[in-house]
Amino acid sequence: MIKFLFKRILEFIPVLIIISFIVFSLVFVAGNPVALMLPEDASQEDIERLTVALGLDQPFIVQYGKYMLGLIQGDFGRSFRYNTDALPLVLERLPATLELAAASMVIAIIIAIPLGVWSATRKNTSMDLLATGGAVIGKAMPNFWLGIMLILLFSVTLGWFPVSGRGTMAHLVLPAITLGTGIAAEMTRLIRSSMVEILSQDYVRTAKSKGLRDFFVVYKHAFRNSLIPVVTITALQTSTLVGGALITETVFSWPGLGQLLIQAVNTRDMAIVQASVFIIAILVILMNLLADIIYRILDPRIKYS
Amino acid sequence: MSANLQSHTVDSHTDVKIKKTNALTRWTKSLVNSKTGTVGFIIVLFVCLVAAFANHLAPHDPAAINPAKMLKPPSWLEGGEKEYFLGTDNLGRDILSRIIYGSRVSLLVGISSVILAGIIGIVVGLSSGYYGGWLDTILMRIVDSFLSIPNILFALVFLTVFGPSVPTLIVVLGVTNWVAYARIVRGETLSIKEREFVRAAKSLGVRNVTIISRHVLPNVISSFIVISTLSVATTIILEASLSFLGLGVQPPTVSWGGILSDGRDYLATSWWLATFPGVAITVTVLGIIFLGDWLRDVLDPRSQGRS
Amino acid sequence: MAVLNVEDLHTYFKTEHGIVPSVNGVSFEVKEGETLAIVGESGSGKSVTSLSIMGLIDAPGKVEKGSILFEGSDLTKIGKKEYRKLRGNEIAMIFQEPLTSLNPLFTIGNQLSESIKLHQKVDKKTARVKSVEMLRHVGIPRAEKVFNSYPHTLSGGMRQRVMIAMALSCNPKLLIADEPTTALDVTIQAQILELMKKLAKEHSTAILLITHDLGVVAEMADKVVVMYAGQVVEYTDVYTLFSNPKHPYTKGLLNSTPKFHEIEEELESIKGTVPTPTNMPKGCKFNPRCPFAMDVCTMNEPALNETSYDHKVRCWLYEEKEAVI
Repeated sequence: MIKFLFKRILEFIPVLIIISFIVFSLVFVAGNPVALMLPEDASQEDIERLTVALGLDQPFIVQYGKYMLGLIQGDFGRSFRYNTDALPLVLERLPATLELAAASMVIAIIIAIPLGVWSATRKNTSMDLLATGGAVIGKAMPNFWLGIMLILLFSVTLGWFPVSGRGTMAHLVLPAITLGTGIAAEMTRLIRSSMVEILSQDYVRTAKSKGLRDFFVVYKHAFRNSLIPVVTITALQTSTLVGGALITETVFSWPGLGQLLIQAVNTRDMAIVQASVFIIAILVILMNLLADIIYRILDPRIKYS
Repeated sequence: MSANLQSHTVDSHTDVKIKKTNALTRWTKSLVNSKTGTVGFIIVLFVCLVAAFANHLAPHDPAAINPAKMLKPPSWLEGGEKEYFLGTDNLGRDILSRIIYGSRVSLLVGISSVILAGIIGIVVGLSSGYYGGWLDTILMRIVDSFLSIPNILFALVFLTVFGPSVPTLIVVLGVTNWVAYARIVRGETLSIKEREFVRAAKSLGVRNVTIISRHVLPNVISSFIVISTLSVATTIILEASLSFLGLGVQPPTVSWGGILSDGRDYLATSWWLATFPGVAITVTVLGIIFLGDWLRDVLDPRSQGRS
Repeated sequence: MAVLNVEDLHTYFKTEHGIVPSVNGVSFEVKEGETLAIVGESGSGKSVTSLSIMGLIDAPGKVEKGSILFEGSDLTKIGKKEYRKLRGNEIAMIFQEPLTSLNPLFTIGNQLSESIKLHQKVDKKTARVKSVEMLRHVGIPRAEKVFNSYPHTLSGGMRQRVMIAMALSCNPKLLIADEPTTALDVTIQAQILELMKKLAKEHSTAILLITHDLGVVAEMADKVVVMYAGQVVEYTDVYTLFSNPKHPYTKGLLNSTPKFHEIEEELESIKGTVPTPTNMPKGCKFNPRCPFAMDVCTMNEPALNETSYDHKVRCWLYEEKEAVI
């Protein structure tokens, strides 16, 4: 297990290097940010002086080398807007985003597992059609629009939940449903198709022939098997989840990474953009690793190699 | 003839022959038999026609500002006016006309970026799978890197650097979406490469380019069509999201995401601004998903017989 | 007294192409301690018969007609809950594919003690002791270790032994074995059959054996039912069947089996294939493949008649003259 983890972590290094290269290249192409940092009436000399001082006149490869050296020491550059290091700014916003992502995931699981299993065991009935139909609609709705519609109904019209912000549980409800619906839709479809396949397996028939109750046949013998592909595919969609979180945060003014990032993009605060991309990528990679570990726990046939 | 057909349905070889000769009939029949497939096909056809004939269909100029008609509700509600079926926005522009014109950008960006992504993905996937070795290792690491960055995040960074415009949007969405194709094409290529006929062709000294275009490409085309269709759906949502964030399609070009973004500020008083463009996106995406699911059932022999 | 009495069983499947009568009026009985074999090609309805008895026919299939009397109570009329109490307890089943019949995600011990805990209402510890005992009983070496292993670490023969242990763990009155040795190596086949025979004798368990292999029938069975296209075509005891087969289909089966044949003679195979449910011939269902087919065979279906004591045949060749009209 430890060997396997070690090997997987080693594999991350080239991926992170490639990401740093892509992001750095994009920012390099974006051009000299110095003009944005100085007051508007700054002279050409001032701009040049600062450019040299920041090493921005040096060739690409030198700048990239310096940037990488910084990354290794945990230095992601300085935000000129906040005038502090970018990394702490990003990390400070991370818990809010994680809270939203976790809550949505919980909602998605609570909806998707019973619904997926339920429609698989009632395959081709009108109830199954209703569940799968609901799942497709959930998938087709853009989540920012769903968010706005929820605000319209529950905040503006009914006044049950606050329109925006973070703090109480009430603040969390609408954003979590917004982000959770899309995941739940995808997960329901996955669980259903996986369960339909597993329910026709020989070992499910064996379990039934033992006289076990339907509940045990479905949830002990079939469900755990059906989870294996579900976990893998859901993990691959972590990046979609994070992407969705970025937009949901904007809709609900949720003070997370997404909001910080969109602000940074609008003000061209590239240090924050770079640091956010990096942290999000690491987050996605870690989630995939976690899924890999769960997958191995679920399936005893897999050897750590 | 029909009796003959029936008795042979168990024999898969005969079956395949029959399928090939009557491909068009079979497709039409299968489309009519699949309820969701039919619905999907009709929706997609409808949206395409609306986009193509937007200038004839739209009752108003989508950009025509009319201060006298600001924020009128839909025609069937109290205070609504007959000529503005879905109401007007904060500048007095007709929502229905704007949605009709908005379909153009959605389809244009959705379809062209998927084509671009497909081309990049096929080239990368084929080279990676066919040549293998260090090239494969490097390309697959790049694929992994792209998978670790959410599409929308990559698009945001890209659009910040190059500035938002429709062509940039097509390029950035193409560049973010190629990964899915590359993985599938690579996988198919790897398995086809080992098949007898490809080995035989190779041993006869047939050029690599010829082998790829003759033997490998036709075999990946059906997976390609299925992913492309579903990818158009996700791309339309992604485009709308970016336009909603103000980083996608820029005014005066009308886009569904853009109308929604405008409408958000008037949510408390004029709900129709934000509601209808969302319905347009959802219905369009739903149609494409249905069509894609049907295509998958028809094109992928592995999923046949399952429902 | 008969443990199992199947009377006029009809099991139908509703499909897109119409109703498929997989089992179409099947009757037989199994006495205590007796082994009855159901023989037939794939598609003859023998597996559907066994699943009907287990109550494991799922939609779109349904037991349409007939009765299944188990120890006097009709299984087609009892509730789900009562059925569950019988399943795995009074009636147990072994399946064809030992490789896929065990759940890959749970240990052998978990799956074995599951039915013991359920039906004998004992605690985990007792169930464990009983399970290990059962594993030893079916001839598994290092039973303690196997108890904690996952199925993928065992060979096919071992897994079938586990399946037998599982099926017999609650001392069932009836054991249904659906092609229990088909997927196994020949040497292992003999061991498994021997084991089943020995254990059934110890507990006087009745066995309903589903097979296409006449060698297995000769080895195991007391009575034999030959099935073709969802119907019983011949029903007698094992000695009569091998010494005096009557139905042309049974004869064909025997002729195509090397064991019961003189070396000089050539093996014959039955021409053609089992008709598909949507493509059933008129009259006797075997007539297109039958070397003795007469005009009447293509027009009317023969009934299952007792031609001599304890020997029933469904064939026009043995019909009383008046029945022909």
